[in-house]
Amino acid sequence: MTNKQTILVTGASGFIGGWIAEILHLSHSADVRAGIRNWSSGARLARFPIEIVLCDVMDKQSISRAMLGANCVVHSISGSSEAITQGTENVLEVAHAQKIGRLVHLSSTEVYGKVRGEINETSPFKSMRNEYADAKIKAEQLCWQYYRSGLPITVVRPSIVYGPFSASWTIALAQRLQSGNWGILKGYGEGICNLVYVADLVSGILLAARHEHAVGEAFNMVGPESMTWNQYFKKFNAALGLPELKVIDPADAKLRAAVTDPVRSLGKFVLKHFSAPLRTMSQRNRLARELLQYADRTLKTNPRTGDLSLYNREAVYLTTKARDILGYRPNFDVSRGLDLSVEWLRHAGLVEQLI
Amino acid sequence: MPRKSSISSQSIASTGRSPRIALIGCGAIAEGYYMPALARHRRILESMLLVDHNFSRARHLAARFRIKQCFADHRAVLDTVDGAIIALPTPLHHSISLEFLSRRIPVLCEKPLADSTAKALEMIELAHKMEVALAANYQQRLWPQFVKVKELILDRSLGEPVRIKYQAGDKFTWPTVSGFQFNSAGGRHGILLDRGAHVLDHICWWLGDKPKLIVSQNDSFGGIDAVAYARFEHNKCVGEVKLSWLSNYPGRFLVEFELGSIQGEIYYPQSVLLKMGAGPQKRVKLKTETYKTLGHRMVDNFIDVIVGRETPLVPATSVLDSIKLTDDCYAAATRFHMPWYSIFEAINDQ
Repeated sequence: MTNKQTILVTGASGFIGGWIAEILHLSHSADVRAGIRNWSSGARLARFPIEIVLCDVMDKQSISRAMLGANCVVHSISGSSEAITQGTENVLEVAHAQKIGRLVHLSSTEVYGKVRGEINETSPFKSMRNEYADAKIKAEQLCWQYYRSGLPITVVRPSIVYGPFSASWTIALAQRLQSGNWGILKGYGEGICNLVYVADLVSGILLAARHEHAVGEAFNMVGPESMTWNQYFKKFNAALGLPELKVIDPADAKLRAAVTDPVRSLGKFVLKHFSAPLRTMSQRNRLARELLQYADRTLKTNPRTGDLSLYNREAVYLTTKARDILGYRPNFDVSRGLDLSVEWLRHAGLVEQLI
Repeated sequence: MPRKSSISSQSIASTGRSPRIALIGCGAIAEGYYMPALARHRRILESMLLVDHNFSRARHLAARFRIKQCFADHRAVLDTVDGAIIALPTPLHHSISLEFLSRRIPVLCEKPLADSTAKALEMIELAHKMEVALAANYQQRLWPQFVKVKELILDRSLGEPVRIKYQAGDKFTWPTVSGFQFNSAGGRHGILLDRGAHVLDHICWWLGDKPKLIVSQNDSFGGIDAVAYARFEHNKCVGEVKLSWLSNYPGRFLVEFELGSIQGEIYYPQSVLLKMGAGPQKRVKLKTETYKTLGHRMVDNFIDVIVGRETPLVPATSVLDSIKLTDDCYAAATRFHMPWYSIFEAINDQ
């Protein structure tokens, strides 16, 4: 491949897709085409003078137009399980038809399921009866089918990706820590938190997009440092300059998750079907507004049962293969990654505000 | 001075017929705001014309609101309407408005009035020359929490304003159809021209003048600004504004006076927090309507402007200071310190 290829990034308005597009532009390493589902999600990318195109992965014509003339596709879709599976199948079909030179599919270490010990890329897929993880397994299986029919595919399996714009592991966790409701999860937070700072992951993805021996291979991508979830909470808490975390008793953590899980499901249902009347009500009635804000805060700052299971998982995802074949060398240790994340949180108004 | 009537308004008044209005631009703002307001006037709806370069959008709205006529080109309606509502992407406000104004057709233009002071001035001067009304849809001027600040400044009950803080953090979710804010065809315009149009307008309107800009920063890398910050001063008053399209945080304003303060929320018009003298901060209820009815007032006013019964609630001349301040902000803007990107810019510099 030439150095100045045109790379289409699908899901470019998302956390990782956005970073890929931004880094490609800032490093001038390729002409980037940022594919987004609709214009409403274009604000972050439009800060850069890059080509932004509509690319709805549920619409093959839209994909086809977006992919035209691209040498490489980085498929970085998230969202519903249907978007992950059907969307991936659509992208693969169009890429195959257009004879794309390389397709990098962003999978996840979640495809390995609830595992223990050291996990390399030969470990089998295992369903956790989790919609997201199952969709990622199905999407990856589709990738390998298309690889066998001649599409040059590389799969990247990131773990816990944090950094600026990360909704789950940076923004939501910062909110939890700031709430004073979060703490050291005794009995639950001693699993391994396989962190990778987003810029390290993107560097790895770009290596995978270019390396000739990466075709037909999958690569785990994790950061340079191993720590437990409780250690991550402590470090993040310190980086935010917050008072020391309290210790949460295992029974308390389990109870909080058990109580809030059904409320969360109900809340999702209500929001999906009654968002307009709720908004009107909160504009008209202060008590309703405060109650809604309280419920939202409570749900966001308590662990889910699924979180507790993740925080307990004692799996280490090995990156030996990425290091040996691609020369993958993650640079950002957790302290540095967190410092940058906290600087970004302040800039984004998520830690400090004018009023 | 805004004109109360135009030549066309006199003829409408003499015949007693409803004014024929053209809605130019059939995107999200037309569908969600202008059409529901106009649809309350059955006779207006009967004679209305819809125009959109994307003809399928015009047809979609025509079918939804049972409008008989729609066009793909605004030039087709120039000689047949009594008033025009310009709901187009911002870069088109200037040129399309001029075509209507030059024919003495009153215009209600979506905010921001124009994307530069020069264009706004040209629109205002033409309206003045042709003696026709040019209204600007800065409907937040009607919202009671902002009106309350203006009243406090005017009645001087708390003395002079000494500090203004204003923040608005809302992820951009507007269902834009054309995407003009973000695609290169639209010239790309950021948060300062969009959300900032209201915020900077409030500040200039409250102060009755354009403050002096001290600092302006944004996050543009050659594209739009999605996060913007400005610091300014005016007489005894200093102020700060921070706006973001990339994260959600409470939209609030705080105005401190020599003898008290007022704090409110952008999307909560029911009450404000008022502090008078050494007394405690108290929540004060405001007489309010829903946002929907406040929006309807703007459109109803424009209908009255066309027939010569009213002057515009927000005449274009009154928003000029905020457009000048926006220009100042863009001209003086430096990029925020964003170390999370620095390493990649360094690669590029090598």
